[in-house]
Amino acid sequence: MIALSMRTSLPLVRLHQAATWALALPPAYLGVALLLTAAAFTRPNLLSPMLLLLIMRQAAPLGLAAMGQSLVMRCRSLDLSAGGVVAMVSFLLTSGALPLPGPLAIAAGLAVGALVGAVNGWMVVRLRASSVIVTLSVSMILSGLVIAWSQFRSAGDAPELLRAFGLARVWGVPLPPIAWLLLLVPVGLFLRSSAFGRAMDAVGANPRAAELSGLPHLRVLFLAHVASGLLSAAGGLLLLAFVGVGNVTLGNDLALNALAAAILGGINFGNGRGGMAGPAVAAFMLVFLFNFLTSLGLGEAGRLMLQGAIIGLAALAYALRHRGATST
Amino acid sequence: MTHVPMVTPERVVLNNVSKSFGPTAALRGVTLTGRAGSIHAVTGENGAGKSTLMKLLAGVHAPDDGEIRLRGQPVRLSTPAHARRAGVSTVFQELTVLPNLTVAENLNLGREPGRLGALDRGASRRRAEAVLGRTGVALDPDRLCGDLSVGEQQLLEIAKGLAADADVFIFDEPTAPLNRTEVDQLEALLVHLKAEGKLVFYISHRLEEIFRFCDTVTVLKDGRLVGTEPIGALTPDRLVTLMVGRELEALFPARPEEAPGEVRLDVRELVATAGAPPVSIALRRGEIVGIAGLEGQGQRALVRALAGAERPVGGAVRVNGDDGTARTMDTRHGTVGAVRQGVALIPEDRKAEGLCLDLPIQDNIWLGPLRGLALWRRARRDAGVIRQLRERLQLRSRPVDAVGSLSGGNQQKVMFGRWLAAGVRVLLVEQPTRGVDVGAKAEIYTLLRQFTAEGGVVLAVSGDLPELIGLCDRILVLRGGAVVADVPGAEATEEGLLALALRDPSGVSA
Amino acid sequence: MTLARTGLTRYTVGLPLLLAVLLALSAADFRQPQNLVNFGGQVAALLIASLGQMCVTLVAGIDLSVGSVMSLASCLLVSQADPVLAVAMALAMGTLVGAVNGLGVAVAGVHPLVMTLSTATFLQGLCHAVLPIPGGQVPPSLVAAATGQVAGVPLPFVWCAVAIAALGALTTRTRFGLHLFAAGSHPRSAHLNGVRVRAVTVSAYVLCGVMAATAGVFLAARVATGDPNLGASFPLESVAAVALGGVQLTGGIGSVAGVVAGTLSLGLLTNGLNVFGVSPFLRGVLTGALLLAAVSVQRRRHVGL
Repeated sequence: MIALSMRTSLPLVRLHQAATWALALPPAYLGVALLLTAAAFTRPNLLSPMLLLLIMRQAAPLGLAAMGQSLVMRCRSLDLSAGGVVAMVSFLLTSGALPLPGPLAIAAGLAVGALVGAVNGWMVVRLRASSVIVTLSVSMILSGLVIAWSQFRSAGDAPELLRAFGLARVWGVPLPPIAWLLLLVPVGLFLRSSAFGRAMDAVGANPRAAELSGLPHLRVLFLAHVASGLLSAAGGLLLLAFVGVGNVTLGNDLALNALAAAILGGINFGNGRGGMAGPAVAAFMLVFLFNFLTSLGLGEAGRLMLQGAIIGLAALAYALRHRGATST
Repeated sequence: MTHVPMVTPERVVLNNVSKSFGPTAALRGVTLTGRAGSIHAVTGENGAGKSTLMKLLAGVHAPDDGEIRLRGQPVRLSTPAHARRAGVSTVFQELTVLPNLTVAENLNLGREPGRLGALDRGASRRRAEAVLGRTGVALDPDRLCGDLSVGEQQLLEIAKGLAADADVFIFDEPTAPLNRTEVDQLEALLVHLKAEGKLVFYISHRLEEIFRFCDTVTVLKDGRLVGTEPIGALTPDRLVTLMVGRELEALFPARPEEAPGEVRLDVRELVATAGAPPVSIALRRGEIVGIAGLEGQGQRALVRALAGAERPVGGAVRVNGDDGTARTMDTRHGTVGAVRQGVALIPEDRKAEGLCLDLPIQDNIWLGPLRGLALWRRARRDAGVIRQLRERLQLRSRPVDAVGSLSGGNQQKVMFGRWLAAGVRVLLVEQPTRGVDVGAKAEIYTLLRQFTAEGGVVLAVSGDLPELIGLCDRILVLRGGAVVADVPGAEATEEGLLALALRDPSGVSA
Repeated sequence: MTLARTGLTRYTVGLPLLLAVLLALSAADFRQPQNLVNFGGQVAALLIASLGQMCVTLVAGIDLSVGSVMSLASCLLVSQADPVLAVAMALAMGTLVGAVNGLGVAVAGVHPLVMTLSTATFLQGLCHAVLPIPGGQVPPSLVAAATGQVAGVPLPFVWCAVAIAALGALTTRTRFGLHLFAAGSHPRSAHLNGVRVRAVTVSAYVLCGVMAATAGVFLAARVATGDPNLGASFPLESVAAVALGGVQLTGGIGSVAGVVAGTLSLGLLTNGLNVFGVSPFLRGVLTGALLLAAVSVQRRRHVGL
């Protein structure tokens, strides 16, 4: 019976299998495919290797922030403090407030990010405060401090080392996206093979079951927040590297874009179905979309409308498809 | 003089109803007639199908087969609100009182007095006072229900049920949280309802109450009807026999010849919750110990305290490891500490508290080996170990299948698999075969026996007496949180255990 | 002890009183009638928006699109010469947005954060499309309605009073209000008792959208111009006002009085900062700190979102 059907309908079966597999992928993959196709017809120059590499470079900060956001989302939490972290890090590094040599300054910036993540994590885990409110408030505080302090110290130039990093290329490929990928792969592997990754999967799928199974679910959540803070700072450093000077509005919408990238990448509260690759592809997709829309002459208005519509529709499709799922 | 029996009108007829949840058949072809002016008991052991039967009438579930008739007319009760409108009022076993609403608001919820959407607070209050007065429940209508004790909330549930203009009432285990005075109040209410010609279905397995309040008894067993009799034709002994009577199937593996070994878990004067009596138990290597008792007698609190899921109020638990070291469990470390010391829990509600339903079998099992592991350590799944476990557990599904797609029996096996992979020595199991079909039951019993034969110990809470008798080496009977009896499994009988569990503190036995 | 359903504690009521007393005693400028009138005008928009946010919070949700709705309302207001039509359009828009949010959350099961965030982004784009740069003329009758006086009482106070009375009556005297509290605390039990939880949830979001549109109309009329960024700070500030007012983010507990208290706290803080000449940039810092404090005091079992 099986042999008979194989002979008569193998191509159809294969097609059906392929279609099902494609539709089950996170929205970002389909989105990228659609975008690249659309660009091929309307703005083929966007598909030139040089421009694609530049777009990847531009997407690196968002990619890093999306990585952090997906870690936190997988634990059923959220981190909206990226804007404040970036503002603070860029201020500290450019205003001369931290008179440190290049490498140390960068390390200090990362440390600040980790510290903010730890504060967020502590409030969420210990005080059981809503992570939405906590991270938003922390962001407000950090941005506010930066704006207030900017009155006394003006933003200066980014450290030499950082700017050099932002411009550097290896065999023609910009360094920042390489660094991003070099971080992505080990992190992904770590999550797949470590106790931390296993625990995170369980905490996301069923926090109560994880707890009763003897997993340190609060510690996992805390560490996810620290990681997210660290990655936001890393993203901020890259942004600073590109722009070259400090700027209070740097990274303003990084948190929300990271959230969008994570969701489009197939990450949802409590499950990491998209893996590490999903949000990365989504980050690239969002930045490509931005450039594509700009090249079409679409202003900020159209860009925002499309972005909102895409996130909303992706979330709706995802929620409706998984509505029968047991976890909420 | 011949006594001509007055035929009271049939108010409710459940005709040959059946209901299944997935592979489990909860009810099979049950026929039941309830008459006006009657307090009609529906009884049976845990899992007999009493609640499911009444939930069909309450509009919570729809029957797969058969029909329901109200006052002679066939009806389809699609939602709880619909059932209420049809004149059926239910007091569920789980409290549905909203803690942030007042007594009056809860009483009138869904049927608030007032026109055009406005609340008529005065009318609401008066209606509440009338109901509370009529039912003799002394509660302040303006009190927030979150401040009430559990007993008071239950009385409120009952009053709420009575406030409806219903002529059929369902009470599901209403006296569980009530004290003596409150039970007397309930009796007065029931007498009143009967006099008014209402039909009351009274679900309970408390024999004293059935004989005290009810005039008719329907007995269910394993989802089937055993019989319906007037109370006059029954004695407590005969009722117990009806509830229990079935042959023990050859499900259970043979008990071991060797006596149990040294003590693995030493529970000393453990006070599980505030007000509970101290419990001391010694669990020995190689034995399966059962915990029997009516629902809500402290079994859950005890087991959860041992598992580290709840913090006990007093006492200590010592765990003796394989290497001979004895360590006291640190209650501050909760389940993490307990699991690290080799004490693990298989919870009753495996879907909500035990399994990650969206994750594959292999991931669910591999949570076990994370026991005691630092977070940065490698925890790669060992495919070989997983394959061995699958064979041992007789899991036919592929390791990558999501656990949510498995049958109840296979899901339970995955839970065992997790702890087998973890190498724990003390297994605390709540309801080992709840929602598990007969075939898988036998496999699970065998697995438990193998586990203890290899040096582990099992503490199993179960409401299924034949299961405890067939499986366990000894059975502890819990009542009021205290161990009232320790019966060797080989000598236990269902009647005996039920009698020990039901024995009234005043000494009157069933 | 269960928190009373109003969520009011010493801190919620005490904070604005404390701030008011401190300011009154230490700054003569604060006590000037003109300052108080200005103060009323400043907090009116926040109060109206926060009352809408309260409805959504009561059913354990959150609405981040209030800012964009306000901005869009202002853009719509300057696009029409006829004030009645303009206001009708703004309110209709608020209703529609609320319905979309509510259906997404209650029927499709999207998390409120994600749903309202996507509508907010979309609407913000729409604002920029309708009115790329701030400007335009708000119909004069509306300007008068927001800045004038009636019988000696400045109109902003009247707007506030009407909003407070309307929502106060809704939450305490109607079946719908009671069902909001029921659906927010225990949706399943509420459903078993006959409460239509889904309909109530969608209505809560619709109400929030309408209130946000109203706040946008008021604010636009007050500044007499349209601005696509008019409502930028309002999503966060309305959540802050609601949290400071004792409304539990997990649903089922809260009150209009609490929201008034929370709004006053925020408003007094800003006003005080102005009066003392403190850097307006520190406003963000203090609001954030206040919000953190408010949310730390709320005890919950749930960890995470």
